[in-house]
Amino acid sequence: MPGFPFPGRPGGEHDELLLDMIIARRALPPDAPEPMHDLARMLAALAGPAEPGELAGEAAVRAAFSRAASPAGISPAVRRLGRRRGTRRSRRPARYRARLATVLIVAAAGLGSVLAAYTDVLPGPVQQLAHVTVAAPAPPSPGRHSARASAHRTRSATPRPGSSPASGPAPSTGLAQPPGQGGSPKPSYKPLPTGSPGRRPTGVACGLVPQRWPNPPPKASAYPSLPSWFEGEKCTGIPSGPRAAPTLDPYVPLPGSGPRGGRA
Amino acid sequence: MIGAGFSLTLASAQGGDEIAFACLFRDVQPALLRYLQVITPEAEDVAGETWLQVVKGLPRFRGGEEAFRAWLFTIARHRAVDAGRSRSRRSDVPLAATETLEQPTTPDAAELALEAISTRSVVALIKSLPRDHAEIIMLRVVAGLEAADVARIVGKTPGAVRVTAHRALRRLADLAERAGVTH
Repeated sequence: MPGFPFPGRPGGEHDELLLDMIIARRALPPDAPEPMHDLARMLAALAGPAEPGELAGEAAVRAAFSRAASPAGISPAVRRLGRRRGTRRSRRPARYRARLATVLIVAAAGLGSVLAAYTDVLPGPVQQLAHVTVAAPAPPSPGRHSARASAHRTRSATPRPGSSPASGPAPSTGLAQPPGQGGSPKPSYKPLPTGSPGRRPTGVACGLVPQRWPNPPPKASAYPSLPSWFEGEKCTGIPSGPRAAPTLDPYVPLPGSGPRGGRA
Repeated sequence: MIGAGFSLTLASAQGGDEIAFACLFRDVQPALLRYLQVITPEAEDVAGETWLQVVKGLPRFRGGEEAFRAWLFTIARHRAVDAGRSRSRRSDVPLAATETLEQPTTPDAAELALEAISTRSVVALIKSLPRDHAEIIMLRVVAGLEAADVARIVGKTPGAVRVTAHRALRRLADLAERAGVTH
């Protein structure tokens, strides 16, 4: 589109480049027509610096900016409302969250302690305390721990369906295995009587029947892994002494239920 | 134009620095006021409303100096249109008649000839152009916006903006020569 012919020029096509230069505020070439130079000067004056009065509104605009930029721009009522809402929304949940976290931590610690007590992994005094308070297994005797570990190994080598770790007598069953006898028979259990003279109490984990020791028991140092009053090979599950009321927890294999039953 | 320091100035203003904001104001306000003097008779009021809106939206603005100017002049144009509508409602004059009244009249050539080349006289001369010609000259030359930005503001294509700008400049040169403003 050729557009208007520029004044003083025969056509408009050649001045478009000059007009673009004027718009871009670039200096015109010296040989440009005089009307182009006049137009450039006029527009340069139009794009010049501020004249008096043109910045009269600066104070009002800056005041508006200060109000918007500072918290004072918000009315006090709105600020109070915001503080109250902030208190309700942020502080209370934080307090409740702290309480909840404390309760959860205590509950988890307690549950873990009980579980540890029932799996008999606590130190001796603590296990004894758990035994008294929450009926956890009694702490193992000094030599029982290693023997029970060997029993666990034996059981893991020959898994038996139906027996569970909580059944208690399993470790003692392993203890009662005669040396050289392969396999672990599945025993039956019956309550273990207590109170007989010459006997020592057994815990839940112990299901063997202690036998009266006719003579003074051998020294415990001879069998460091077994209690000195134990004779596992002769364990029958039937007390040989006078009967007494059964305790709550101990169970012993019933006679005739396993390979050792007939040896009573 | 602020130039290379614009980003820092803008960031400071967005952070609440009043001095930086004043720097932006002083840089843009002359061109804004001259542009508004061309498109609305309430240039001062519309300029104030424009800056209030800029203050509100400044923290969310992202862009360079060109984008800032385009944003600001877009706001100014919208405020000018709003002012024209409210003015027409107040005066109960039909919109067509109002727009006729808003059309600038050609200044007296003899009167213009008496003035030197001043901003006021040039603005008066540009107001004598058709509305779209005058607005495009102000946005392209005074505000320093690119053709694409001007096209978005006035609702034309960049090509149409370029053609209109050339046509308007030729008419302006013709008017100035006849009025003797450029001597």
